[in-house]
Amino acid sequence: MAELVEIMGISHSPNFPGQIAQPDPEPAIVEAARDYELMRKRMAGFRPDVLVVIASDHLNQFFMDNMPAFLIGKAPRAEGPFPHEMHTFGIAPYRAEVEVDVAKNMLQLAPKMGVDFSFSDEFRIDHAFTVPLNFIRPEMDLPIVPVFTNVMAPPVPPAQRFYEVGKAIRKIIDALPSNKRVGVLSSGHLAIEIGGPKEGRSSSDPEFDRRMMNLVGRGDVETVIEEATWDRMMASGNVTPGFLNFVLLMGLADGKAPSVSGVRFPKSKGSVPYMAWDRDPGALA
Amino acid sequence: MSKYQVDKVMREAILDAKVASAFRADTEKFLAGRDLTEEEKKALIDVDYATLYRLGAHPFLLNGFTRLVWKGDRAALNAEYRTNIAPFGYPDFST
Repeated sequence: MAELVEIMGISHSPNFPGQIAQPDPEPAIVEAARDYELMRKRMAGFRPDVLVVIASDHLNQFFMDNMPAFLIGKAPRAEGPFPHEMHTFGIAPYRAEVEVDVAKNMLQLAPKMGVDFSFSDEFRIDHAFTVPLNFIRPEMDLPIVPVFTNVMAPPVPPAQRFYEVGKAIRKIIDALPSNKRVGVLSSGHLAIEIGGPKEGRSSSDPEFDRRMMNLVGRGDVETVIEEATWDRMMASGNVTPGFLNFVLLMGLADGKAPSVSGVRFPKSKGSVPYMAWDRDPGALA
Repeated sequence: MSKYQVDKVMREAILDAKVASAFRADTEKFLAGRDLTEEEKKALIDVDYATLYRLGAHPFLLNGFTRLVWKGDRAALNAEYRTNIAPFGYPDFST
């Protein structure tokens, strides 16, 4: 039986690496970079054998000709991001082996847990995977199992479904026929607008960010699901549904409050959240 | 209205620099045979992002696409983009 050792959620903003690299970053960026360095150490401290990485795709790999709601990648290798993303944002590439046996076992176990995942034997991971992986596991030495979610092309599954899929993934990991230590890394974001009238330099709705991170921090699943509707998220910013990946993590954590969570509010771009649920609080001591 | 076909054109250009070049070099030729309305075709040829936005183009793709194929002054584009789409609020971009 596999052991779920750590659940972690961070931002996948492709701007953030560049903001950190600036000669004189603003204080909130310095603090956020420190948060993410602590997250890196935290994940390393739990010594995972494999990382299940749950993130979205920005209409790069998957498109409206054939759009999966939830998909597990089971090709032997995962590589990204897309060339245009590296060109636009100057972000670093990432390469990882895929733990194919675990991916296949997850696909086989999932229907019993109430989820029929799509699967893919040929895919590329975009910045939603490569940015968090470069922060949390820059060594590129751990195999991953990528899980893609649709948060971009409506109809996007509702928050309740993201929560249920998270709960199912927890049961699937518990039932895996191996002794592996499994870490989960998910990426998303808070309020953000791209290509709409509210697009600006900072968060498109700091109040949404504060409220949701407060609810996540308290483990208040019921209110998060009630409030994180498509319409409410759209009103906060037209790409805000990326928040749903964090709702999925609340399900993976079985509705419990995270061990740590927080958010920084840079003036230059969107808010930078972090959250982590430790399987064993003493393991890092 | 064929939002899907508009989104498809924008995504193709974003994903491949050669496709973006072909689009810029001869947009009418690039769009020939595609299932687009005359209004959509004209808006794509003119890079009339405000009309594309109003018609329900995916804003994430529209953002990347417009900046990619824009032939005019980029500073002006950045200054005017939000103002020009704001009157249309939040059109439904589901396909």
